[in-house]
Amino acid sequence: MQTATSKPFYRSRWWMPAFSVFLGLLMLGAFWIGDEPEEGFISLGIMVALGALFFFGGRSETLRGLGGPGRDERWAMIDVHATALAGSVVIAVIIGAFLVEVASGRDGSPYAALGAVGGLAYVIAVVVLRARS
Amino acid sequence: MKNEVRDLRTAMGLSQQQLGEAMDVSRQTINSIETERYTPSLPLAIALAQYFGRTVEEVFHANGNE
Repeated sequence: MQTATSKPFYRSRWWMPAFSVFLGLLMLGAFWIGDEPEEGFISLGIMVALGALFFFGGRSETLRGLGGPGRDERWAMIDVHATALAGSVVIAVIIGAFLVEVASGRDGSPYAALGAVGGLAYVIAVVVLRARS
Repeated sequence: MKNEVRDLRTAMGLSQQQLGEAMDVSRQTINSIETERYTPSLPLAIALAQYFGRTVEEVFHANGNE
């Protein structure tokens, strides 16, 4: 349980809106460097709208949980399970895409590298978390 | 996990929102505990028991016994 005096930064109502805008600015920068500023401004607009949704999300538990203020230990459990499910889906898609690429006579990139990163990250996480528990 | 949270809360005249604020969790989390859809962590179970002036065993029933 967290106390009111030790609330982490990610439980602030400003956290997810600020992070959304930050990501939008990164996208704008990347598109700008890629000489496609219009796409960058569209991406920034989408991310600002997303941030506004979190900030003005009202009493929706889902938005409050995703946005930060509604995060408590139950939400942390939901977050872990949702992350694991999403990760499993991504890994399955990467493996499937890799197999399709290889079967098509190509070298399987970039899916082989993505799968390797995912697998390595999982093993490192298991080792670190086991050592800390 | 079966528990006495709803009975103890209502006996104190508290809303789920008020208890949630006291425990620094959401109203929905209190509701989920009361309806046995969520088993609280040990720190939260202890905090709830202390808040109600009971032992953890008096508030939560691990094997469903009253």
